[in-house]
Amino acid sequence: MNGREKEEYLREYEILKKKGKPFFPYAIMKDSVMMVIVVAVMIAMSVIMGAEQGPKADPTTTTYVPRPEWYFFYLFELLKVIKPPALVPLATIGIPTIAMVLLLLLPFYDRGPERIPWRRPIATITGILVIIAMAYLTFLGANAGSPTEIELETPAQFERGKQIVAETGCLACHSIGENGAHGGLGPDLTHIGSKIPPAAIKRSVEIGPGIMPSFRDLGEKDLNQVADYLSSLD
Amino acid sequence: MKLSLPKRKSKQAEPAVADGDAEAAAAEPGPSRSEKRARKIAAGKHHSAEGGKDVAGWVDSRTNSTGIYTALLARHVPKGTNWFYTLGSATMFIFAMQAITGVFLAMYYTPSTTQAYASITHLTNDVFMGEFVRGMHKWGSSLMIILIFLHMGRTFFFGAYKYPRELNWVIGVVLLVLTTVMGLTGYLLPFDQRSLWATVVANNITASGPVVGPYLADFLRAGPEVGATTLSRFYALHMMLIPGLIAALIGAHLFLVVKLGTTAPPWVKATRPKGALGEETVPAGVPSPDDAEVPVGQAAASEPTPEETPVSEPAADPADAGGPDAGNAGEEPADPGAEPADDGEASA
Repeated sequence: MNGREKEEYLREYEILKKKGKPFFPYAIMKDSVMMVIVVAVMIAMSVIMGAEQGPKADPTTTTYVPRPEWYFFYLFELLKVIKPPALVPLATIGIPTIAMVLLLLLPFYDRGPERIPWRRPIATITGILVIIAMAYLTFLGANAGSPTEIELETPAQFERGKQIVAETGCLACHSIGENGAHGGLGPDLTHIGSKIPPAAIKRSVEIGPGIMPSFRDLGEKDLNQVADYLSSLD
Repeated sequence: MKLSLPKRKSKQAEPAVADGDAEAAAAEPGPSRSEKRARKIAAGKHHSAEGGKDVAGWVDSRTNSTGIYTALLARHVPKGTNWFYTLGSATMFIFAMQAITGVFLAMYYTPSTTQAYASITHLTNDVFMGEFVRGMHKWGSSLMIILIFLHMGRTFFFGAYKYPRELNWVIGVVLLVLTTVMGLTGYLLPFDQRSLWATVVANNITASGPVVGPYLADFLRAGPEVGATTLSRFYALHMMLIPGLIAALIGAHLFLVVKLGTTAPPWVKATRPKGALGEETVPAGVPSPDDAEVPVGQAAASEPTPEETPVSEPAADPADAGGPDAGNAGEEPADPGAEPADDGEASA
């Protein structure tokens, strides 16, 4: 905007303001209605979804799969999209920082006088694309499913073993049914029971072959239950 | 809108403060002292009789509350202001809700690794409405993020970040970052598995940043690994530093909103009266260089120069020359706080 356009904008704005209504009570009425809606939504969400507590923090479990709050999903998914290790800092710091700086400095490089969205297609299309990308990544993150949950149906006697598998973080590397790390570091366990005999499964969990960590710490009883559960997957 | 507070203050405050002058003026031969007293009571000037008004006048003469009222509430919002313009105040409101629920949570929360989890369990299960308040705080954080993004989206698509509101956009982006930092620091406080491991990852991500990354991560973690020191540090950031910054920046944000006014939707145009010059032929006054800065108040004040009067026809109120709020004051009913002053003049 050059000086003439700036003056013109201010002049036009003064006219629009003269034709507008006083903030009190007109605008404040809308604001108040919105605030009531916001409180109602807050109360409804609190009553319906409550505030459940997860399991207590345990720094010794190294296998817990961390999941951020949903509004960080898009950043989290960016990590999964960008796979090569050399590029990981780009995903963690590079892209978010560049995006943030671009956002912060927006009014200093977009200085055109035009304000109507459809008459400044570059800004509008960029904005819409960014929203779509963020929404898509958030959607991916939301559908990754909880890492401590296995949806595959299980006979009642294996429920305990399934629970241990879910909570121990096996799904960080393996996948069972729809859940877990598909194409992750470890093989798919959905049909593991028909491929490996139960004793071998138990030994693998106990020793941790190759890059897999040992889960001997679970104790004999839990190990047996894990092995029984995994053997039941066929 | 111009916040010309000091000027207004002197105008309104003068008669109220000049109590003694009024008495001196009335001390001429005429009504007896008791009569004068009675008249003063009737005029609302006596302390015991009309304490309320007097207190209002007293406060007003020292704070200029009526001036602030005019600047904040009687200001005009431009034609076309719609529901999209409630998103900002809704975001601020939810910040206030987070502060209130947060205070109640802080009454029961213990920021130590050994007690944090148990204190949340106690709060959730035993304390009256504990889970409800915690739920409001928890879901309120999500709502605040949603609202702040919607507010930013509105500002972006309406082009409201452009001249003269660039600085307010910058403040808004900083507020967005601070709000997400609130989400991040608050996430650790319940100290369950999700909290802990999400924080470990967030810290590792911070550490991978260039130059300052490792130092910042060390500072946040405050120890070899995420633990007791991290928790108390996040607690302090979440409770004091960041909310303080957010509150201060909201103040600055609002100050600029009041000073510059909210935008009209970009497709709403000021309709020009018959006979007015077209947009192209509007004389721009003194030709200014292309990158000239136009001070916000000045452009409006210099409006009715002889060559360009037709453009400002709807605003041809002579009071407008003094700036936008001079016009408003004329249109609005007299400020309630100014009434005692008028009465005083009448009695004097």
